[in-house]
Amino acid sequence: MSAAAPALELHDVTVAYGRRPVLWNVDLSVDAPGLFGIIGPNGAGKSTLLKAALGLVPLAGGTVRFFGRPLAEVRGRIGYVPQRETVDWDFPVSVLDVVLMGTYGGLGWFRRPGAAQREAARAALDRVGLADLAGRQIGRLSGGQQQRVFLARALVQAADLYLLDEPLAGVDARSQDRIFRVLDELRSEGRLVVVVHHDLRTAAEWFDGVALVDMRLVAAGPVAAVLTPENLHRTYAGHLDVLDELGRAVERGGRTS
Amino acid sequence: MSQPAGIPYNTLVVAAAVAAVGFAAGVIGSFGVLRRRALVSDAAAHATLAGVVAAFLATGRRDLPTLLAGAFAAAVLALGGLVVIRRFTRTRDDAATAIVLGVSFGLGIALLAGISARGIPGAGGLEHFLLGHTAALTAGDATALAAAAALAVLIVWLGLKEATLVAFDPAFAAATGWPVALIDYALVTLMAAMVVVGLPAAGAVLVTALVVIPPVTARLWTERVATMVPLAGAIGLVAAVGGVATSNAVPRLPTGPTIVLVAAGVFSLSFFVAPRRGWFARRRAAVDAARALAERLRAAAAGEQTAPDPRGA
Amino acid sequence: MNLVPGSEGGFAALHAWAIATAAVVAAGCALVGTLLVVRRMSLLGDAISHAVLPGIVLAVLAGGRPGGFAVLGGAVVAAVVTVLLVQALRSEGGVAEDAGTGVVFTTLFAVGVVLASALARRIDLDPSCVLYGVLEFVPFDTVAVAGLEVPRAFLTGVVVLGLVGAGLAATWKDQVFAAFDAEAARAVGVPVAAVTTGLLAATALVTVASFEAVGAILVVAMLVVPAAAAELLVRRLAWMAVVAVVLGVAAACLGYMAAYRLDTSAAGMIAVVLGLEYAVAAIVAPEDGVLARGAARARLAWRVRCEDLLARLWRADEARAGPPAATGPGDWAAAAWLRVSGRIVRDGDRWGLTAPGRAEAETVVRSHRLWEAWLGRHVELPLDHLHPPAEWIEHHLGADVRRRIEAEVGGEESDPHGRAIPRERGRPNA
Repeated sequence: MSAAAPALELHDVTVAYGRRPVLWNVDLSVDAPGLFGIIGPNGAGKSTLLKAALGLVPLAGGTVRFFGRPLAEVRGRIGYVPQRETVDWDFPVSVLDVVLMGTYGGLGWFRRPGAAQREAARAALDRVGLADLAGRQIGRLSGGQQQRVFLARALVQAADLYLLDEPLAGVDARSQDRIFRVLDELRSEGRLVVVVHHDLRTAAEWFDGVALVDMRLVAAGPVAAVLTPENLHRTYAGHLDVLDELGRAVERGGRTS
Repeated sequence: MSQPAGIPYNTLVVAAAVAAVGFAAGVIGSFGVLRRRALVSDAAAHATLAGVVAAFLATGRRDLPTLLAGAFAAAVLALGGLVVIRRFTRTRDDAATAIVLGVSFGLGIALLAGISARGIPGAGGLEHFLLGHTAALTAGDATALAAAAALAVLIVWLGLKEATLVAFDPAFAAATGWPVALIDYALVTLMAAMVVVGLPAAGAVLVTALVVIPPVTARLWTERVATMVPLAGAIGLVAAVGGVATSNAVPRLPTGPTIVLVAAGVFSLSFFVAPRRGWFARRRAAVDAARALAERLRAAAAGEQTAPDPRGA
Repeated sequence: MNLVPGSEGGFAALHAWAIATAAVVAAGCALVGTLLVVRRMSLLGDAISHAVLPGIVLAVLAGGRPGGFAVLGGAVVAAVVTVLLVQALRSEGGVAEDAGTGVVFTTLFAVGVVLASALARRIDLDPSCVLYGVLEFVPFDTVAVAGLEVPRAFLTGVVVLGLVGAGLAATWKDQVFAAFDAEAARAVGVPVAAVTTGLLAATALVTVASFEAVGAILVVAMLVVPAAAAELLVRRLAWMAVVAVVLGVAAACLGYMAAYRLDTSAAGMIAVVLGLEYAVAAIVAPEDGVLARGAARARLAWRVRCEDLLARLWRADEARAGPPAATGPGDWAAAAWLRVSGRIVRDGDRWGLTAPGRAEAETVVRSHRLWEAWLGRHVELPLDHLHPPAEWIEHHLGADVRRRIEAEVGGEESDPHGRAIPRERGRPNA
């Protein structure tokens, strides 16, 4: 990838649900390789930021570029791990079926996965330590194993940039270690891994860079520079009533008090 | 015409067509059920009555292709109505479904009653679309229905991968570049088409059962989409053929309810005896799990390592 | 199947009874439907209205009369069985609720139709009546009450409306609480399960009372549509119930009359009128209606244009470069309005602000620069990215929030670009 264009670049991104903005004027640029955390309190808009970058929720303003280009041109280079709660784990598919879904984007319309895709899927499962569970229905896994299945599905996408939404929420210690080992490998291979994360304690030791988010970007950059007491206070204690009020006013099309 | 074992040619053709329709309904209904859209098809189904009557009024013809074209248009309009309500109001989805269902069916009833009150010639028999009636199907009609059903199955077979992906994880599908809304619309349109194709056999009021009960039943038997879809088709086939045969044997009995009852019979049986998800299997699994838990607790009490398993799965 | 049109008193009375019956059952349905809609149980209402059929048929078979109390009881039992079955399918078989509902109510309805067909000679229950009722024949089946011949269906409707109305009135607070937040209600000791069961029983009662008039399927329209329309029109639950009842009764009267004029099924036309009511509500609703939202959008767009023009003139003054030589064609309309309303003046091809116009422009510019200052303080954003968000937010800041922002940015005299922030004034037009 060219040195000039950052792997992920957000310009003045504002995201609204309906007409009410929930994430304001985010300006962020992250280079590969690295392990980058997006951190903030509950309801701060961390996942929304990821979804907006991927075009899953519409932008109310601003632009997103990957490797200097619009999303549609580089989709194949981006892997995504959604939150585990977003799908029905009772769905009648096996672990291998789910991982194979990572190959669908490359296959295109109507072509079925073949031996090559199966092999890639098995390799990815092996990498997350679930090779022996390939045939199991996904509902019969633990939460951590389910999360690793999602990670394996992203791995077969063979992407240069990975976006993970809360991959460690409700995950057992073994799965957590395994997941982080894989993310670490991805970084060593020169890729960028962006993780929405809720746990401040682990953030400092795992990530190279972080962004603190609470309805807006508080600070972004190397861990040491960003995770200062002042920034953390602004993120976690300084809830901005002004933004709440303003959001409601914008939604109404009127003015605040 | 040769008639094996004394069964009229026409009856054989109709039976084959009903079998094909039942199979297709089960196949396509599978994705409706998996995508949690089971009752959306009911709104489309109830709307078809208005379409049938309107098609007759507009063209003065009462051949099956004309009437079913009207039915399909009405079903698509009903689904469009759902989309409009969702887009422009804050009415919840469940209420929206009930509104479209009730109002469109009322319109159909009003049109039907208006026609019969005026004694318009040739209108007799339209009321058979309420509860289903296969006796009047011609061999040509039946062949056309079978062809439409086969086409629908072919489309789903082609798009099996895409439909499964969107049903399971629409967010991931969208993030990897699949046009989720388009695939959704295609599936819902296919559901509407199935409802229409099933209309002559099962009737507007009960045709939903043909796209809902077989998939729900098949799901009890298998953990894989690739197995569930053909199995749902097979159950739909059995229900449709069994229902038509039963209703033909009993005078005055409409076909729709008998099809539903056969399907419900297969469902009830499956509910109890299916492996793993069946009632008996679950009971046994619950007992086994309790026993295993007791075993683990005993081991833990004995000072061995405790296996951390936060979800207990 | 319609009555012979006639102007004699006897015929008028028959029509009046039919309309009264339709209105009474519509009122009961709308009342119950209000709670079903807010509790997201609309489709359960649909399911129950189908599933009461076997209960009714069996009760009739056992000697009950249509509209009699045995039949009401049979319907309630069938409704409860429906709900229990759906719950059992979910908890014991892992069947999702919507799919389970689809399985149960189609099956029960099929059982009812088959029973009614098979026993058609032994009982007086026509399958087509099951589907869409016979409102037109209701006045002919009467009972004597205090010397007056009253249609049985009307009497049933009144009794059921009274029962359901009294029941809901007595438990209204609990119903509202359970609808608003079932978890919290349970936590403070509201018997949510009992409240819900009561609601289901009420659904069954109004369904079966409506059965003769409009049939099994159109009941769902009478249950859900008035309530959904009312929800678009008003916010409070009690008002919603009132409006739903009014809409339901109006649709019953108008639908019947329309059916008479058009010579068709009254039940069908009632549902059609309900649909029209809903469509009108969706268009004219005061806050969320299509018209109201369009108007709000247009108002905002117009205000933004006017304010942008004022701010441009003010900034031009500030830069001492003279007013802009020409305003773009898109702004001519705004300029014309601002002139008429006395906020700008025109002198040849030069434009200037009047005192009120200046005050308003200053408020906009003040909002803009305060927002830039606020963003500079709270948001990690390069200096050259501050302008676009402020250009948007300047139209949404009110005086109170402006003062709070000013206090927060410490009474700074200038925005991050170093330009002066105008002081807050009194009301611009005062």
